[in-house]
Amino acid sequence: MNAPDRYERFVVPEGTKKVSYERDTKIANAASFTVEREDHTIGNIVRMQLHRDPNVLFAGYKLPHPLQYKILVRIHTTGQSTPTQAYNLAINDLDNELQHLKKGFEDELMRFQERHNQGY
Amino acid sequence: MSWKSSELDDLPKGLPEHLEIQRTRVICKNDAPIHTEGIQYSGAYASSGVDNTISFEKFSKDFKIEVIRLTEDEMEFDMVGIDASIANAFRRILIAEVPTMAIEKVFVVDNTSPIADESLAHRLGLIPINADPRLFEYLSENDVPNERNTIVYRMQVSCSKNSPQRLTVKSDKLEWLPEGSKLHEMVPGQQKTFTSFTNNQMEITKTPLGVKHEDITIARLGPGQAIELEAHAVKGIGKTHAKWSPVATAWYRMLPEVIFRKEIKGEEAVELVKKCPVKVFDIEDLANGEKKAVVARPRSCTLCRECIRGNTEEEIELRRVRDHFIFTIESASALPPEALFTEAVKILEEKCDRVLSELS
Repeated sequence: MNAPDRYERFVVPEGTKKVSYERDTKIANAASFTVEREDHTIGNIVRMQLHRDPNVLFAGYKLPHPLQYKILVRIHTTGQSTPTQAYNLAINDLDNELQHLKKGFEDELMRFQERHNQGY
Repeated sequence: MSWKSSELDDLPKGLPEHLEIQRTRVICKNDAPIHTEGIQYSGAYASSGVDNTISFEKFSKDFKIEVIRLTEDEMEFDMVGIDASIANAFRRILIAEVPTMAIEKVFVVDNTSPIADESLAHRLGLIPINADPRLFEYLSENDVPNERNTIVYRMQVSCSKNSPQRLTVKSDKLEWLPEGSKLHEMVPGQQKTFTSFTNNQMEITKTPLGVKHEDITIARLGPGQAIELEAHAVKGIGKTHAKWSPVATAWYRMLPEVIFRKEIKGEEAVELVKKCPVKVFDIEDLANGEKKAVVARPRSCTLCRECIRGNTEEEIELRRVRDHFIFTIESASALPPEALFTEAVKILEEKCDRVLSELS
């Protein structure tokens, strides 16, 4: 009865931004990104990629409530970079990795089909 | 004089063996696994002088995909060099976010069967439809149903009054209507149609659209009962309802590794080979007539832990390779499993782009 509609899990309503950014007032080089209508699928990947950055001191994500469909990504960086830079770098790196993965998969599929066809 | 550890030849390079095992393997003990977190931080081993950065070059060097088995409905392939979060993301996207077509609206003209209208509609929704979802668009509330976003099916079955036995209605009774809805013909004189198809849908899809499996039982009719209905199928994703999930299931497991810490010979070896239900171990006959247990098929290990139950706990170690994933995808939609995985990668790329580009 009180459950939100299922399409709320991925449809961003009019007026809300998909990603918003809040600087932390008490700690230098710390910020919180709120991504609307996303879940662990993206959250865990971004957190993992942020951990690989040597300039990132702290990176974590959480879902504040399972029925509110948004994630909070918190990033602290050293003086060498800012949280926005770290976030952008992490996602660009992920893009490169995924493109490489897709190409590798397509190449392997072709090789497999050829091996399969030659076997007959 | 420089004391850089990379220049001194007699110092051991890299991590000591036990740390390397901690870094690259999950050890499954009798009660629970240990060392389950992956160590991503580049400075984790800085004090030992080992660099743990994972740059894109290192990733492209280490990354490998190998397809083990590929049939029309099922695919098993290995991915080496990716992290658990990416593997899990693919699993989640395959189950919930790759779109398919499924019946959403059912217009019932006549239903005297023992199955209630809503149960019948529920069953119809779960039937996999043989339509490529990439050729269709989503239908939103304000849109008019036309040939680009709706597929219309009709079912008209009846069981004659004199029939000696019940009639089983199977999914092949769903006939595809490429010209659009014919419901307005039911009511004489009504002009307004339920869908507005301008062209024959065959021009978009090129092949006839049916159901994927023709032998799914929908209902059973007794003598004198009939069903007449029209069903409209639309595009959706598994997150909205599981009927739109394109996979029967998709799962992954990590590559198992079975290590002997101590040699197991003789009677114990024979017992060990008998204990394993998936025949991971084998007997090797040594030169002096003794039998030794060896690991023959570590890949088939299901982690039932029968081999480390009881007194053999210290002799065998069960491990999982942290970055080697064995994916299995069972497709239940029109797309073959390799196309489903390619779609999943595209969807993950789009998600990453959206999360980045909408940051003002």
